Amino acid sequence: MKRREFWLLVTPSVIVMFGFMLVPLYRTLRWSFQKVDYGSPGAEVGLTNYIGALTDPRLGRAVLFTVGLTVVVTAFCLVFGYILATLINQLGRMRPIVLGILLISYVLPHVVGAVAFSWLFDSNFGGIVNFLANQLTGGAFGEPLWFTDPWPNRVIVAANVVWFMLPFAMLMILAGLQGVSAETLEAAEIDGASSLQRHLHVIIPSIRGVLGFVLLIFTMDVIRIFDSLIPLSPQAVGLGNESIMLYIYNVAFREGAVNLGLGSAISVLTIVLILILLYPSIRGIVKEARA
Amino acid sequence: MHVSRSFRLLAAGLLSVSLIGLSACGAGSRTGAETATKVACDFVNPAEPTTINVLAYNSSAVDPYSNTMVSSCTHDNVTVKHDPIDFGGQVQKTTATLAGDTGSYDVIETYSFVVPDLASREKLVPLDDLFAKYKDAYQLDDIDESLRKAMSYDGKLYGLPMQTQVLTMVYRKDLFEKNGLQPPTTFDELREASKKLQDSGDMKYPLALPWLASGDISTAYKAALNSLGKDFVDATTKTPNFTSEESVQAFEELKSLLPFMDPQVTTFDQPKVQQQLYNGSAAIGIMFSGRMNDLVQQKNTKLYDKFAFAAPPAVEDGGKQYGALSVDGWSIPFNTKIDHDLLFQLLAASVSEDASKASIPAAYPARKGLDQTASPYAAAAKAAIDGAPPAEAQPWVPPITAANTEIIAQVITGKQSVEDGTKAMQAAAETVLSEQ
Repeated sequence: MKRREFWLLVTPSVIVMFGFMLVPLYRTLRWSFQKVDYGSPGAEVGLTNYIGALTDPRLGRAVLFTVGLTVVVTAFCLVFGYILATLINQLGRMRPIVLGILLISYVLPHVVGAVAFSWLFDSNFGGIVNFLANQLTGGAFGEPLWFTDPWPNRVIVAANVVWFMLPFAMLMILAGLQGVSAETLEAAEIDGASSLQRHLHVIIPSIRGVLGFVLLIFTMDVIRIFDSLIPLSPQAVGLGNESIMLYIYNVAFREGAVNLGLGSAISVLTIVLILILLYPSIRGIVKEARA
Repeated sequence: MHVSRSFRLLAAGLLSVSLIGLSACGAGSRTGAETATKVACDFVNPAEPTTINVLAYNSSAVDPYSNTMVSSCTHDNVTVKHDPIDFGGQVQKTTATLAGDTGSYDVIETYSFVVPDLASREKLVPLDDLFAKYKDAYQLDDIDESLRKAMSYDGKLYGLPMQTQVLTMVYRKDLFEKNGLQPPTTFDELREASKKLQDSGDMKYPLALPWLASGDISTAYKAALNSLGKDFVDATTKTPNFTSEESVQAFEELKSLLPFMDPQVTTFDQPKVQQQLYNGSAAIGIMFSGRMNDLVQQKNTKLYDKFAFAAPPAVEDGGKQYGALSVDGWSIPFNTKIDHDLLFQLLAASVSEDASKASIPAAYPARKGLDQTASPYAAAAKAAIDGAPPAEAQPWVPPITAANTEIIAQVITGKQSVEDGTKAMQAAAETVLSEQ
């Protein structure tokens, strides 16, 4: 490819990346050092926004909740995504249909899915979960306060994230499973490896790269959870179930309390946090690529 | 091969469903205007094709006015565009469109709560001259003067009132009759009625109030405080009133209602309160009047003919009602490039007598003298308007509300004592005032 053709093809992407990634990133960085009123040039305030963010206990609670949710959901989805993918991989003609059905929750807009999900637990809209659980337990399940008790609320938020993210993990792992050498598996079987041993010592090491990729995407996606919390955790701030993104939204955009400078400072801190959390995954993927 | 064909079929099916879904979303986006009332909208035709973008949230009370504007004023060279949006979206887009020298909207829906703040920052165009010019053509003097005042700041009119929303009480007349109850006029009576309904075994939590921790709960606290005769801030001394006796009493009175409400009440917004009433899991509700007409629609609930309406009770005997009056209207943003004269005629047409009549019973129009016998809640809304505490029309109200909402929720849910909460609110309000 000639140099001119190369630049002709690459330039639009560079412009788009510059416009949609670097410019907002630069603005966020600038605003994080300013007091910003919408529509007016910001006034420099040095590190005030960062000090304000780091001394606000709400940020600590939001980080704890978000990171905790990310760890739990990612671990769950990796394990059950693997199990589900293994089961689906054994299907024949039904595979595309089962796959299509399982992917519905992934393609639904999160907020729509979360509203419908909240109705499962909301007695105003049927509360089918409480009803079924009480039918099964003879009423011992009771009426948990899903939306006002911190832990029950965390359970439904995590369940919702699993509901819409599990299909992605399953799909990626399924793609990885299809690349596992049938000969190697057959050899392991002839050598007397049990089913569990084949999974632990042959299949999982073979798809390590895919699992690393799933881990990477989950870390980035779950840590940015926002819209699901609107219907599922209407009292998120008081319960300590406010995610980092919801905290930024509340600080930067809520009526009467717009503080874009502080919101930008928290955004920058979040980028740093994501980079720290992603470091092991990125290092693993780079190592894999070099090998 | 067979599997991949199935997969392709599945993919094609999913794509088709998605496309049909997306096209359905598009088709439904502006349908309200097609069936809206048409009124005269006789502006001087501009020389060039002109598109006027309207920002107004969708609700059964506001839609009649937005739709009338679109259907009646889109002619000749003028096209009026109004895309559906919810209230939260309107709040954000209002902030964004008023931020710079150019905005995305030429007409914005405003309400009395935000007008003083926006007007004090010169984000809205004063309408007095245009009002005077067109008052005869559109009989604008028939718009209630007190409501015009609510949309004014510093003596100037910044919003043309379309309709008003006032906290109104709804109750189940069948259960009230059965238990020999009268609509409560004080919080004492409200507690008594709720207790009696609870003890009768008809329902576990007879009282339903919108106390969403991230929003409506501040309206509830303000209504209680105002009912006891206090505003957020003493306008003369500019001192917040949150540590006052009335503020403490307001919290105690609100907390005293908790035993009669669903334990998750701090997650209930107005639609959820409506849902409780639809379901028959509550017998008394207090919400803004724009929600009331929905309750008597057969398509919404089988209890549609069991509801009656009244003005809300006062917190204490002899006091003002536990009330809040909100006036919705149209404003012209300072940064629109469209001729203000043309825009005002659109606003005036959309609140004309015919348009206002057509909004009944979904809305309680700002115009006086309209026949409201078709509205089941109009008499209660009128009584509520007459007995509502005067609105605190000050620019500091929205930022203080935002700063204190979470603290109010903490106090109501018992996570913070009334004493600590009121001190924290006082400090937050002082910070807001120092920045004004």
